[in-house]
Amino acid sequence: MIETSPPPQPAPPPVFAVQKRRLRFLGLTLDDTIKAFFGGNALVAVVVLALITVFLFREGAGFFGQNRTNLEIYRQAGLEYVDFIRRQTDDHTALTRYLSDLRLRQVMILTERERRPLDEVNAALAPFDAFAEQFSATVDPLRALLSDLTEQVTAIKTKFIVTQDRKEERRQLLAEGKPAEADAVKIDTIDFATELKPILGALPLYKETSREFSRKLVALLDSVPSLPSPELHPRMEKLKQLARNYAAGFPAIERDMEAWEHTFPVPAWETFTAFLFGRQWLTASFWQDWYGILPLLIGSLLVSAVALALAVPLGVGAAIYVNQIASTREQRLIKPCIEFISAFPSVVLGFFGIAVLGQALRLLSQQPWLSWMPGFPYSERLNILTAGCLLALIAVPTIFTLAEDALNNVPRAFKEASFALGASRLQTITRIIVPASLSGIISAVLLGLGRVVGETMVVLLCAGNRIAIPDFTSGLAVITEPVHTMTGIIAQEMGEVVRGSIHYRALFVVGLVLFVLSLLINYAAQKIVRRYKLSIG
Amino acid sequence: MNAATHVFRSTAGARRGERAIFWLFRAATWFVLLCGAAVFLNIFVKGSRTVFKAEAPFINTTFLTEAPESLYIFEWEGKKREMGDREFRAFKEQNPAAAHVATESYVYSAGGIWPCIVGTVLLVVGSMTIALCLGVSAAIYLNEYARDGAFIRFVRLAILNLAGVPSIVFGLFGFGMFVIFFGWNVSLLAGWFTLAFMVLPVVITASEESLKAVPKGFREGSLALGATKWQTIRKNVLPYALPGILTSSILGIARVAGETAPIMFTAAYVVRDKLPWDVDRLGDFFFQGVMALPYHIYVVSSKIPQNDYTERVQYGTAFVFLFIVALIATSSILLRNHLRNRYKW
Repeated sequence: MIETSPPPQPAPPPVFAVQKRRLRFLGLTLDDTIKAFFGGNALVAVVVLALITVFLFREGAGFFGQNRTNLEIYRQAGLEYVDFIRRQTDDHTALTRYLSDLRLRQVMILTERERRPLDEVNAALAPFDAFAEQFSATVDPLRALLSDLTEQVTAIKTKFIVTQDRKEERRQLLAEGKPAEADAVKIDTIDFATELKPILGALPLYKETSREFSRKLVALLDSVPSLPSPELHPRMEKLKQLARNYAAGFPAIERDMEAWEHTFPVPAWETFTAFLFGRQWLTASFWQDWYGILPLLIGSLLVSAVALALAVPLGVGAAIYVNQIASTREQRLIKPCIEFISAFPSVVLGFFGIAVLGQALRLLSQQPWLSWMPGFPYSERLNILTAGCLLALIAVPTIFTLAEDALNNVPRAFKEASFALGASRLQTITRIIVPASLSGIISAVLLGLGRVVGETMVVLLCAGNRIAIPDFTSGLAVITEPVHTMTGIIAQEMGEVVRGSIHYRALFVVGLVLFVLSLLINYAAQKIVRRYKLSIG
Repeated sequence: MNAATHVFRSTAGARRGERAIFWLFRAATWFVLLCGAAVFLNIFVKGSRTVFKAEAPFINTTFLTEAPESLYIFEWEGKKREMGDREFRAFKEQNPAAAHVATESYVYSAGGIWPCIVGTVLLVVGSMTIALCLGVSAAIYLNEYARDGAFIRFVRLAILNLAGVPSIVFGLFGFGMFVIFFGWNVSLLAGWFTLAFMVLPVVITASEESLKAVPKGFREGSLALGATKWQTIRKNVLPYALPGILTSSILGIARVAGETAPIMFTAAYVVRDKLPWDVDRLGDFFFQGVMALPYHIYVVSSKIPQNDYTERVQYGTAFVFLFIVALIATSSILLRNHLRNRYKW
């Protein structure tokens, strides 16, 4: 044992005149605890943001696996194979539609411009009608074949789904600890190769039908009757050309079908591309469900574009007016009013759109003096334009308030210096004030965009809810078409889907896309403000 | 600034051009206000026909105090009659011959909207309580305790981003977390938390502004007298900031009351017979879905056809809803302007 000197005694605490006793709990004073409590609350925003991400992923992540199975069965059960033929008949339908459109134009010309009675018009169009009938009949044998094959592959797919359900049943029984019942569940194995044999065996029949179809079609094109109005002849020629091109494409389809194998693998990335670039959102269909976000994304973007096109000039214009031009009295009146507009609940605006604005805009579009506008007149009451106008009313207050703030932040000295140099008020506004606050104005517009993209009730009620990519060929007239949007589809379908199904998960992935989009817009707005901030002072 | 005082006078043409452009700006401003007024007046005028009556007590109490019912329209003894569900049943009992009369019926078009008003009030009160507790505490930390640093910048960034998240995403989140993961089902509690998280950024920002407006001297004086930080905040900061916090948060209330998307799958029922206080146990109160005004507007404007009979309930509901929201918003704006003038240090 080594003797050690006792440790040095700590110095006695100093004696203060006023002493405060501090309660300590887990080493924290009361003040520390309170601080920690408040700090914890400040963290809530971060936690909520993280939780949103986690739960969207948690519910949505399974989608990609399920969609891959969905795509695999599409291939393995031969649905993809039959879709080659389906596309061929669909194209023919498009040509028939072109023909009936042509007839409609002809009838319009004859009845409205030449004021001929209807039976005379019908008589004049008799040879054309006969041709159209023959034209649409050419596809019938092919269509019969298609419907046979459709039935057969649907049967294969149903079989597969039944086995999937059985497997799930057995898994659940096992999980519940009932192995005997689980063994009783019979699971058939499906050998796709044998199941598909009769379908692939129909290829020679298909080739024969298709060639016959092509021969008839081309032969028919040589005897096209001419239309009474010469101005429609170019359209007829175009139809001929289209039909010839169509028939010329048949060998390529044959080659594709010959090369097709049901064993082609579905790579993992295809489930992502099928979602991000898929052109169809088709659910609960008897044939094949598609989950492609493109029609919804385009719908959302188009509606937002219309809304911003209206809201940016109005919102920024109003901000400039109120901040720079208006008298103080006018300012005091306008600002609360615009703030008041921002308090309008969106569902009330949506209702206004259904009850009043949709009808009013349609009537306006049918005025003859407005017929120069693209897409006017139109007949769908609820469309991009209706929703866009209402969303503009939602975006204006946001843009106005933020842009006005930005204008307000321009130092007085800038304005005074500009006046001192002899600039007029307009020159000062356009050359000094607006450029100096441009970053703030742009970020205001971006935040307005974020507001509009995320808005649900107005687009759900007023955008028309047609899930299809609108027709861009007519240029700006696209704004008079109905669309469906990302926010709208979630609100509409979430209440009806089965929990855990692929459709349910797909909606969560759409939500995730929306979430990421809103974060990106926000990020861009902040970046612009910071990056292009004028160094003032 | 008068152009005539400049040494270098601008030409008359330039001045005229300038004035024309100014008028353009003015037109844009008033156009916006006009649009807002058009929406408001349309709903106000048509809705007041449902909500007000020509004879005493001038207010349609049936509409405000009863539950929605189906509306039956039929011809009886040469006259067109409209009756709500219960009334029609009683009528059929009195006149057995009426049992097979041909009727047109529209759901939700008779009766009133009382359960929706109750539901909305419950949703607003609950979610604002949660949001105020969380939001004010967060603002106190950010404004009183925190020193600028990476962590605080991160928190602020999160708040800013949370403000931009679409309301439907909050709805999805609430559905995934409260309704499914916590197993609360469609319930008041799920709706409260979803709405509270949605409005949190608004409350935090508003509270911080109000806290910032309290002069530094108040805090320094208190600290110099030997008070602790918490005593300072409780006695010398919060009392002065509280009116501002509350009034600014009223705008948050307008937002909570007005949103439909977050409650669609978390708290709102299309129709429910029982009123929220008809529960067996107190615990059930929190786990029941309610009807809500905004969701009811959505249902009546999208699920039933538009005609003269259904229009009454559609406009009536929209009117009551807009009236409540407008009342909240206006009082917030007025109070804030009043306070701005009162508290000047």
